[in-house]
Amino acid sequence: MPDIERIDTGDDIIVCENVKKWFGEFQALRGISLRVRRGEVLVIIGPSGSGKSTFIRTVNRLEEHQGGRIVVDGIELSHDVRNIAAIRSEIGMVFQQFNLFPHLTVRQNLTLAPIWVRRWSQAKAEAKAMELLDRVGIPEQADKYPGQLSGGQQQRVAIARALAMEPRIMLFDEPTSALDPEMIKEVLDVMQELAHTGITMVVVTHEMGFAREAADRICFFDFGNLVEIGPPDQFFHSPQHERTKLFLSQILHQ
Amino acid sequence: MNAARSSRPPEASDGAPRPGLPPAAAALPMERPPRTEVGPLGWLRHNLFSSTFNAGLTLMLAGLLGWLGWLAVRWTVTDANWGVVLKNWRVILFGVYPRAEIWRPAAGLILVFVLGWLTWWVWRRTEMWRMRRPILAAWVISPLVFGLLLGGFELPTLRSIGNGLGYFLFRPDLLSALNAGWRGPVALGLVAAVAAITLDLDRRPLARALSAAALVATALFNLPSALLFSAQVPTALIVLAAGGAGWIVGRWCTRLLSWTEQGRRLVPWLWLAVLVACLFVLTDFKVGRPEFDPVEVLTSVQPSLWSGVLLTLVLATVTAVLSFPFGVLLALGRTSRLPVVRACCVGLIEVVRGVPLITILFMAQVMLPMFLPMNLSIDRVLRAIAGMTIFTAAYLAEVIRGGLQAVPREQVEAARALGLSELLVTALVVLPQALRLVIPAIMGQFVSMFKDTTLVAIIGLLELLGILSSITKQREFLGTVREVYLLAAAFYFVICYAMSVASRRVETRLGVGTR
Repeated sequence: MPDIERIDTGDDIIVCENVKKWFGEFQALRGISLRVRRGEVLVIIGPSGSGKSTFIRTVNRLEEHQGGRIVVDGIELSHDVRNIAAIRSEIGMVFQQFNLFPHLTVRQNLTLAPIWVRRWSQAKAEAKAMELLDRVGIPEQADKYPGQLSGGQQQRVAIARALAMEPRIMLFDEPTSALDPEMIKEVLDVMQELAHTGITMVVVTHEMGFAREAADRICFFDFGNLVEIGPPDQFFHSPQHERTKLFLSQILHQ
Repeated sequence: MNAARSSRPPEASDGAPRPGLPPAAAALPMERPPRTEVGPLGWLRHNLFSSTFNAGLTLMLAGLLGWLGWLAVRWTVTDANWGVVLKNWRVILFGVYPRAEIWRPAAGLILVFVLGWLTWWVWRRTEMWRMRRPILAAWVISPLVFGLLLGGFELPTLRSIGNGLGYFLFRPDLLSALNAGWRGPVALGLVAAVAAITLDLDRRPLARALSAAALVATALFNLPSALLFSAQVPTALIVLAAGGAGWIVGRWCTRLLSWTEQGRRLVPWLWLAVLVACLFVLTDFKVGRPEFDPVEVLTSVQPSLWSGVLLTLVLATVTAVLSFPFGVLLALGRTSRLPVVRACCVGLIEVVRGVPLITILFMAQVMLPMFLPMNLSIDRVLRAIAGMTIFTAAYLAEVIRGGLQAVPREQVEAARALGLSELLVTALVVLPQALRLVIPAIMGQFVSMFKDTTLVAIIGLLELLGILSSITKQREFLGTVREVYLLAAAFYFVICYAMSVASRRVETRLGVGTR
């Protein structure tokens, strides 16, 4: 993509400054400022309705931010379609409800975007798809349709589909919330393994175990504000804000 | 998907353990249901003979139906005069199509059936998916092929193709125009300017080579006159000056206006403009026509002579093939975010849906010629096809819009998140799912369109119904109305029923309703 202005943001791959977003009269994001470093695993937690999903959806323009500034990998997120396209092809996203394409086989789900957006050959895209299915542990399901897979398998396919575009950043929007308890672990294992590869990950989740194990930093959202951010040790053992303490005491009551 | 395919009652699968889980501990063995509860015997007992009153009713109705059936069969076999069909089968099938050329519609009909059967055969097997695109392409070009086959066409001979090529490439007067005075240098200047722009902006080797070749060729055309020294001002100077000026103007355009991306997209259009301008400069647009001696490959048969079953099938096939893409476009336009596009589509759809088909057909026959130039007359059959296409497309658009709205928003988001452009999101993710959802409704539209082809009889076209009613008016076949219309009813029923069976099978195959 020629002619896209690149801004030097140093070691930070995502830079958000005072990001604001309204749904009608309701302000969902009340000025979020946050920098994500290259290769970092950032976990976002918070009560429902706190704006965490909205926030990561603004990073790849599934929601438009109405104030502030977002720069992803040196590209400013503006109304320019080319900027949006460039940013989206750098970011992979995994959704709560998997959102696989039901009319395509698993293999076709994985090769669709590389062939049409990256302009890879069919052979190259299929080789990459099989490699990724191997990595998430379900190569034998390549020619099934998403509807024939279990929830955990579908979510692993969804992760592989996002990775097929070779993104630099992966966004996870509550990837285990729609899964049966029996299947959460297989998805978390894949994410855990991914975290070690050095890809930048932003994960919205309620899985505190995953946050403790894999996160470099954890941030806590409440009422559209970024309340607190810090490394897991500090976050879980000596939270600074009363609101964070209350939230942690409620979810870690056992 | 499995539940939809298997004919077993749903309770049967309840006892089966879920895959991957251990079976329920100490389950009792399954028993067979009592003989009187299942199978044909059970069905009869439940539905026809569940009480004395119902049993009596069943027997009475069976008697009545049997009697009516016997009357119908007796009339069909003994009383009916099927001679009217046997003697007229050729007319019924092909109407007034010239006798000697009847092999053409016959071949066309066979082609349609072969294509339909092939489509069916390929779509049933997933391993044949590579053949789907060629078959779709065959359907798309089928109206053209059948049009040529039925209507006849001419081809230029090889000699006249060569003649024409030579005429345009090596036209003697064009060459002299190039040499004449100001014309050659002006053309050179224009070409030089666009070549300069192309070389500056386009990095593709082919584009660069082509523009360089165009520049060199125009320069060479100017060579003979440039070498003439008899003129007062040396022509070579003029040629050089023109070429140089063009080149500098081109450079100036790219540098001063700092054209980048937009400029590169303009390049092909600039070449087109320069081509037209050069033609104008060189010839004042007084290009003569070369000799053209076409050979008639298939003799011309006016569409107004297409009739009978042939016309019915032509109307239905061509309308279906043409109205489908129009319907998709109208539906997409109606759901578009652009207000003007949306308003136009809504307007067209609502107007067409608010008018009876017969009115549209009359308008196509009577009013359309008023808007066309005097010397341009469109055949009546083609006008009927146009009317039916617009009508069907409007209804299809509404059906397809329903499908578009039923595709969940999350699908669009997932596709966008992968970096697909809006066009690709629609073409690869939304439309395939939307169309699958509305296959039954689309087939329903096609079935009703097929039956609506009978309306063209009212505007005087001789499709199946028109031909049949004209047969019954002949003295020889008076009083055969019943036979003839029974035949028509059977024909329409068989085809419509086949269509709905096919649609039901396609639906199961694509797993509608499974996610």
